[in-house]
Amino acid sequence: MRCADCRDAITAYVDGELLGEEQRDVDEHLASCAECRSEYDIAAETSRTLKEGLVRYAAPDVLKARIRSALAQPSAFEPPVPLPRRSWPRLAAAGFLIAAASSALTFSAMRPGSTRRAATNDILASHIRSLMPGHLVDVASTDQHNVKPWFNGRIDVSPEVPRLDSIGFPLVGGRVDYVGGRPVPAVVYGRRQHMINVFSWPTTDASALAPSVSTENGYHLVHWRNGGMELWAVSDLNVAELRQFIDAFSRAEASPER
Amino acid sequence: MAQRDAERFERIVLPHLDDAYTLARYLLRDEHDAQDVVQDAVLRALRYFDGYRDGDARAWLLAIVRNCCLTWQRRHRGDRVTVPFADEVAERISDPRETDALAIQRSDRAMLERAVAALPTEFREVIVLREVEGLSYKEISDVVGAPMGTVMSRLARARKRLASALGIDAREAS
Repeated sequence: MRCADCRDAITAYVDGELLGEEQRDVDEHLASCAECRSEYDIAAETSRTLKEGLVRYAAPDVLKARIRSALAQPSAFEPPVPLPRRSWPRLAAAGFLIAAASSALTFSAMRPGSTRRAATNDILASHIRSLMPGHLVDVASTDQHNVKPWFNGRIDVSPEVPRLDSIGFPLVGGRVDYVGGRPVPAVVYGRRQHMINVFSWPTTDASALAPSVSTENGYHLVHWRNGGMELWAVSDLNVAELRQFIDAFSRAEASPER
Repeated sequence: MAQRDAERFERIVLPHLDDAYTLARYLLRDEHDAQDVVQDAVLRALRYFDGYRDGDARAWLLAIVRNCCLTWQRRHRGDRVTVPFADEVAERISDPRETDALAIQRSDRAMLERAVAALPTEFREVIVLREVEGLSYKEISDVVGAPMGTVMSRLARARKRLASALGIDAREAS
């Protein structure tokens, strides 16, 4: 084997992609040619360094959760729907989620309306929209001390952001969303593959209201009132675990740890 | 699509999510962009799933992820400044509790990440597919849509650049 042929074959040799005969030719040549041998050493050492040093990333839980909830949509298998609301070119593929949200809205709008009804619609649409790529959180952090201050200056409501990871509800982040035509904070928690959005805003109604659960399109919505705040949580998590979450959240809310 | 197909999709395609995310992380050099693009790619894969028969599901998914990454890059070219890995890496290095040996190891790794991040996309993708994901030339050729000979020569040139960026050529030659 000539040196030029050997140099051409070194990459495939390093990668074990040569056939038996070719490989033996390179073996023999390398045993007798110091220059090619040095070329091989550099390529092999580079490959080894990369294999050992480069990180293989794990898909984050939030991504898995978003994919699973998107797959759970009945229309996930259908062709993309053009986006009716805003131009999100890179989100075109997620159009079906908006379609799902708007059909939920249409469905609800046909029933006798009330402000509570409107809030339910907005909250459900907001939750579904939040599961689209790039819409879950504007501030992604598992630290309440990052999430809470983030809302300052963006919104006149300072939401409660209790730490609940010790009981299995890690904080995912926060964002500002629209409910009833005004901006409200949404604080996002995770539970396995599920996301929980918690919305809150001040109310003039000073009476407390115990959490009540309703179910819309497979999502559970929980509404309660406490300390002059209206609170809503929405998730596709099962009701038992969602109640456990609400319980812990409202207890933490009543006695904030600071 | 029937429920059975949905289950088949989850069984065949979803196990390769880590590989998909890893490729997107290296191609886009941004955690959040990578998440968005992988989600988009998986949903596309779902719609094309009818066209998928048997075969290499991993290479099939990675090819879709790669195309979505390239499309994304074309659309977003220049509309933001990405600082690849640097912040994260600097944070890790400056941790005063670290022992010297660990710090050296980390700074080696940081140098490696920077060197790979600096490669042109066509080199970076073959390096990631080969050295991180362990694909064969045939599989890489399917993912990037180039002949195996081209895959090999890109790998050779990419390794040469990295060897010189990391000082491996000088070390081995001495």
